[in-house]
Amino acid sequence: MSFSLKRVYAIFNKDIKDLFKNMFVLSTVLTPILLAFLFSQSEPIPVGLHYFIINLIFVMTTVYVQGAIIAEEKEKNTLRGLMMSPATTTEIMTGKSGLSALLTIVTLVVCMRITGYEFVNVPAIFLAFFMSFILYLAMGTLLGLLTRTVMEASLVLMPLLFVFGMGTLLLEFIADYPSLAFLEYLPNFQLQFLAEAVDAGQAFTDVTGYLIVIAAWMVLLCILTVVVYRKRAVDGK
Amino acid sequence: MDNILSVKALKQVFSKETAIDNMNFEVKRGEIFGFLGPSGAGKTTTIKILTGQLHPTSGSALLFDVPSTKVNHPKYLKKIGVMTDNSGLYSRLSVYDNLHLYCELYSVENKRKRIDEVLEMVNLIDAKSKVVSKLSKGMLQRVTLARALLHEPELLFLDEPTAALDPANSRHIHHGLQELNRKGTTIFLTTHDMQEAELLCHRVAFLNNGKVQLLDEPSKIRRKYSDDTLTVELVGGEKRTLINGPEGAQKMYEYMLNNQVVTMHSNEPTLGDIFVDVTGRSLL
Ligand SMILES: Nc1ncnc2c1ncn2[C@@H]1O[C@H](COP(=O)(O)OP(=O)(O)O)[C@@H](O)[C@H]1O
Ligand SMILES: [Mg+2]
Repeated sequence: MSFSLKRVYAIFNKDIKDLFKNMFVLSTVLTPILLAFLFSQSEPIPVGLHYFIINLIFVMTTVYVQGAIIAEEKEKNTLRGLMMSPATTTEIMTGKSGLSALLTIVTLVVCMRITGYEFVNVPAIFLAFFMSFILYLAMGTLLGLLTRTVMEASLVLMPLLFVFGMGTLLLEFIADYPSLAFLEYLPNFQLQFLAEAVDAGQAFTDVTGYLIVIAAWMVLLCILTVVVYRKRAVDGK
Repeated sequence: MDNILSVKALKQVFSKETAIDNMNFEVKRGEIFGFLGPSGAGKTTTIKILTGQLHPTSGSALLFDVPSTKVNHPKYLKKIGVMTDNSGLYSRLSVYDNLHLYCELYSVENKRKRIDEVLEMVNLIDAKSKVVSKLSKGMLQRVTLARALLHEPELLFLDEPTAALDPANSRHIHHGLQELNRKGTTIFLTTHDMQEAELLCHRVAFLNNGKVQLLDEPSKIRRKYSDDTLTVELVGGEKRTLINGPEGAQKMYEYMLNNQVVTMHSNEPTLGDIFVDVTGRSLL
């Protein structure tokens, strides 16, 4: 099957044009940046705090922007038009991911500049970031496909924000409750553990366990997204 | 003429009701085919099945000899144009930007020119740079129609395309659709407006409770259901009904001989009347 960059770009371009008239999304993206400013006042910042902001960006920017713009396509009945056009599923999904990808990269870079976070062991961190990005993108797409309106997507975001965005704040609490230890397998915890490990000087081979767990999340969410998309494509709505 | 669309034993059951019940019909390449039925008859559901948006409970629909469930492929999608109740527009973007996106999606050439052409067809050229959220319901409907025409589809599905329009705009669009059809587009159109059906459609199907109850050319339907009488209005306002035949002719001869005839017309029932006759239901 062919892949047309022109179509992908047309969809992306449409979302960009739309963004500047959509204060709702723009303001959400600014929240992590504001927090980064607040945290940067008290130095030095521990790795955990850096990753609190990074995980927050993944949920508020990657998941939420992606979820909101897809939910809006459903709310306004525009997703069907894309599906009925010769654009393939891959083209539509790539195009629709462009905006959240761009905003994620921009906020990540801006926030890291503000808090002064520096990478160690670049390959491991880079791979972990990349897989996290894909998995949150899939999570956002799912959020958008499973809700009917932007309002609904915003509501469902709340528990996601709590678990995936701020969950790592509960690390000490979890230490006291062994029954909650399973939470440490969440991708946000794994990302932070990995970062702390490489920060402490561990090598790529020492952190493959974390990478595998994140990869498993990524694969799971991508499969779920494809399944839900295919179901949605023939729901007549 | 070959069939561009053929529907066999189609059935669609939603959780509690049967929306389409053993439906059979064919649409010939090059015709304007009207699907006439009151609200809830199953018109939109049929279009959604035919365009692959919904997989039927049972039975089949072939478009271009491909099952509707397999039509979701760029090769076929670019030959189809659809306008239904789920054809939304991007409300924060202009009419032009909305159409331009679709030009890109359908790889339309000479985008600006084509956008102007379709906007002319729906009488909306003045609204080109307007933001969609500022448009009236009727204007939205016309933009959606324009968007479905952009890529000059071979097969066009229109779900009540003039439902929210005033008579002048409806007429304008009817002309546009006839023009399009002359250039080769097959049109599958649903409506509950029997005048529209009569004016536009080469053949109409009467739909009721998910079943096709009658299918033919409008003029043939009218002739078939005509009771073969004439009504004559005489001087003084009196009306007489005459049966087509020697007896009626004799009477008519007398009336005319005495200069008594004011008006006369054949009693062909309208499609709307026949619809009520056939289905026992009014179109509205
Ligand atoms: N997604 C759906 N779920 C349940 N029932 C539906 C659904 N879509 C349509 N129906 C029902 O199917 C019947 C036909 O609907 P529809 O095709 O929209 O009729 P029309 O377009 O002719 O007005 C109606 O009784 C409607 O309530
Ligand atoms: Mg309908």
